[in-house]
Amino acid sequence: MNHALLAIVIIPAIATIATWWTPVAISKVITICSGIAVFALALALIPSATTHGYLAAGPAFRADALSIVFLVPTTFLYATTSIFAAGYLHLPAGDAGRRYARRFYAGLNIFCWSMAVAPLVNGLALLWVAIEVTTVVSALLVAIDDTDGAIEAAWKYILLASLGLGIALLATIFMYYAGTKVFGSSYDLSYGKLLSGAHGFPKEIVRLADVLAVLGFGTKMGLVPVHTWLPDAHSEAPTPISALLSGALLAMSFYAILRFFQVSVRCLGPTFPRNVLLIFGLASLALAALYLLSQRDLKRLLAYSSVEHMGILAIGMSFAAPLAIVGVLLHVIAHAAAKGTAFFGAGSVVRKFKTKDMARIRGGVGLLPWSGPMLVLAVLALSAMPPFGIFRSEFLIVAGGLSDPHDVLAAVLVVLVTVAFFGLSWFTTQTMLTPVPEREGLGLERGETSRLIVVAMAVGLVGLVVLGVHVPGQLSDLLHDAATQLEAVR
Amino acid sequence: MPNAAPSTFTGAADVIAVLVLLTEFAMLRAPLLRSQVRLYAFQSLVVTSLAIVVAATRHVDELYVLAALSFILKVVIVPRIVLRLLSRAEVSLAGSSAFGVATMTMIAIAVSIFAFFSIGALHLQSTALPSAALAISVAVVLVAFVLIILRSDVVSQAIGFFSLENGVSVASLVVASGLPLIVDVAFLFDLLVAVVVFGVLMRVHHGRTKTLSTDSLDRLKG
Amino acid sequence: MAQTELSAPVIQALQDLTILFGAPLVSGVISHVEGRIQGRRGPRILQPYYDLAKLFRKETVVPEGSSWVFLVGPIIAFSCYLVVPLLIPVLTTYGLPLGYMGDILGGGFILALAGFSVAIAGTESNAPYAQLGASRAMTFGALIEPTILFVVFAVGIITATDLPYALAATVRSSSSEIVRPAHILAAVAFFLVVLADTGRIPVETHSGTLEFGMIDEGRTLEHSGAPFALLKWGSAMKQLILYTILIDVFVAPWGLAANQRPVSVALAIPALLGKAMVVGCIFAVIDNSFSKLRLFKITEFLAAAFLLAVLAVLVFYLGGG
Repeated sequence: MNHALLAIVIIPAIATIATWWTPVAISKVITICSGIAVFALALALIPSATTHGYLAAGPAFRADALSIVFLVPTTFLYATTSIFAAGYLHLPAGDAGRRYARRFYAGLNIFCWSMAVAPLVNGLALLWVAIEVTTVVSALLVAIDDTDGAIEAAWKYILLASLGLGIALLATIFMYYAGTKVFGSSYDLSYGKLLSGAHGFPKEIVRLADVLAVLGFGTKMGLVPVHTWLPDAHSEAPTPISALLSGALLAMSFYAILRFFQVSVRCLGPTFPRNVLLIFGLASLALAALYLLSQRDLKRLLAYSSVEHMGILAIGMSFAAPLAIVGVLLHVIAHAAAKGTAFFGAGSVVRKFKTKDMARIRGGVGLLPWSGPMLVLAVLALSAMPPFGIFRSEFLIVAGGLSDPHDVLAAVLVVLVTVAFFGLSWFTTQTMLTPVPEREGLGLERGETSRLIVVAMAVGLVGLVVLGVHVPGQLSDLLHDAATQLEAVR
Repeated sequence: MPNAAPSTFTGAADVIAVLVLLTEFAMLRAPLLRSQVRLYAFQSLVVTSLAIVVAATRHVDELYVLAALSFILKVVIVPRIVLRLLSRAEVSLAGSSAFGVATMTMIAIAVSIFAFFSIGALHLQSTALPSAALAISVAVVLVAFVLIILRSDVVSQAIGFFSLENGVSVASLVVASGLPLIVDVAFLFDLLVAVVVFGVLMRVHHGRTKTLSTDSLDRLKG
Repeated sequence: MAQTELSAPVIQALQDLTILFGAPLVSGVISHVEGRIQGRRGPRILQPYYDLAKLFRKETVVPEGSSWVFLVGPIIAFSCYLVVPLLIPVLTTYGLPLGYMGDILGGGFILALAGFSVAIAGTESNAPYAQLGASRAMTFGALIEPTILFVVFAVGIITATDLPYALAATVRSSSSEIVRPAHILAAVAFFLVVLADTGRIPVETHSGTLEFGMIDEGRTLEHSGAPFALLKWGSAMKQLILYTILIDVFVAPWGLAANQRPVSVALAIPALLGKAMVVGCIFAVIDNSFSKLRLFKITEFLAAAFLLAVLAVLVFYLGGG
């Protein structure tokens, strides 16, 4: 019975209930404290996860190295986003403001609760339930701003995500059916059991289950061609929610795919599951890179960048070298930090310029003395510049790919990432570095809109630098442990 | 050529599964939104009866509880919620789709054939498994997709999604009847929450645009 | 009691004669019942016989510009309708000598030939409504063909032959055969085909001549006298033939003579006619319960029938159902 695990499950739930009733100022504090506490607990779990193999809290909760790898970025974003939201939200006065704040903070807390619980549950069935809860909660949060665009985005999101999860449920059922050959007709889908019996499962059914799982959970992850809800939802949601959606929720769906991947590899051998991920990954990376070249909306740009990075994750998993898999896991953590910081910066820009349209934003660096340059750094981090963490993770992925028999894929990856870089850097120079036109000016004065935004961004960047310069020893052990789990029988 | 009549369980499961599929096809055709909701209620009733049949023939007593819960949820509560929304919205006709009913039926037939053949290609061997019912449930899922893609109003799309869940329920009853009750209840609870969220979004959409059509949901592109 | 047995050719002739003389009776019963349901007294049950007798006495008028086809068409159709009863199980459970001349597919071809010749004769008349009816009949007939084919396939794969006798035997063998999904689906699909082919609601109004909706009725509009009598008789026979296939192959193949004794054969005749009248009454009830579909919606109806037939084949082929 691991108490830290239980605490991680309970604290955000308490925060949800508390923030529903308390006034705004106290809600902010509660949320920030809850976020920081849960992040600290997650960090504390790292050493125990590597030494003990896995941690349990009752039959329902189980955390092994893979779970902690995905728990860390989620809780990190929980903490930093709550700081950002405290500084970003401009509430209308009076009752409307109170209602919005209540719904927003309670929603934020329950959303982060669901995303923290998902990697901790034991079994494919409970995992599906957890991810369904995240979908449902996040759909309400996407719609919370109540604009035309938000409602349209929320409807598309919930429809497509629910369809994807319906397919994923079918995948879970097929996997269960495969297991009945070994375990008889009544058992639970816990990970330990599945992995122990996987080599006896009938191969055809596991193949079908794997494809359906990638297709179904891939809808929530943003894999092409079932990604169409993503740019809409991530751009129309309030910015703190967009940060969480891009940085944490997509990774959670990837975690679900990885659990199916684990079982499939043990049953079918590595080739088939890797090829499935490769196909979807290549499509996502290619399409996202092309779309990045033609964006006008700031948050939509970042959303397509998320699709790109999810593609990179999928391609990375398809490389045979363990180095690549370590890179993929590091990428999950680094991407969360980078995307979060980028969205925070975007929020700061939108607050200042009062528009998301990049054609009308100029001279960001001049007008936002702190968040402007930090946004530029975050975008550079997303494009895999050293010394940030994404450089290290993508380097590991490409290095692993080059030692793979199909090394041309690594080259393709590099080319597509470069195309994406063009898209992102075009935006950066356009909005941030181009000076304000002399004659008209923009009628804005230089200065930050909120110090908390700056703090949140700074924390994110520091994390990225730490990951890029020197990954702490225990984290590195954790990553290697998780990579071993994913490679099945070695 | 298999000539022997199937066992009672297989036969009953097959007949019920065929009824579910036929209801799905009927939803393709239904011009009034009210009839779609009623067809969904009927389909859920059929699925509940399948749960009872499975519980009786395979001696899984937990499924009786599940059958009762799914009856209350899917036959009573969900149609109530949607019908209340419809009466408030004062819209009765389903949004027209790009194709006529006959064409949509042909497309849905083609899709069902695909489902049948792919499940058949799995060569599921056991005699205790009604693979016809499994193939039919996958066909229900795919026809629900066709319904969602080709219809252009939020209620039809939501009912399409709920009927997709019905198809998955049939699959789970046929091959995964031993799944622990707690998990089945969790699935049902999830469905309830999803229904609530769908309902909220439908109402908000209607509140803004005064229609239930999805034609206006095309601002966000690229 | 002397065990005299009827020889096979006699029984075969009896099949034909039953259909020939029983058809107007079944028609009459259906019209009478329909009238009763509508609250009228309804025409006499034997009225079709009187009508036919009257028509044979009347003179034949031929439109200007039409050729011999106009007069020959009805005769060809009538002969086809006399041939088909030889192929299907009408009175007996065992195959009769000429019954192996053609299988169920062959029977379908001959029925199609009959419909074709009537349509050609109608087109020959140069009258607009007749041509309208003929072209509509051909179109919808073509759309029904795939459904009929799939029903035949369903019959074929369930019994591994396509002799209608074999399916009847399978259905009789155990009650669980009747509730096989494939069987039920094929039976319902065929029911819908019969409904469309005999020109009943919701495809066409059987009584009266509404030009907008005429399909089968329109083809015969220009005929008169003896050819017209043959056409009416032929259409009643086609109705009874289709009912016979529905009853004796799919739904209720009991009461057929299992041996060649005169008693069993004699009992089989009223059994068949009785069952046909029951089916006819069902059609009468449907007639009065639903409204006619608009012409372009008939394709939906046919698509539904096709769907059921396809599902019958798939469910059996892929699931052992």
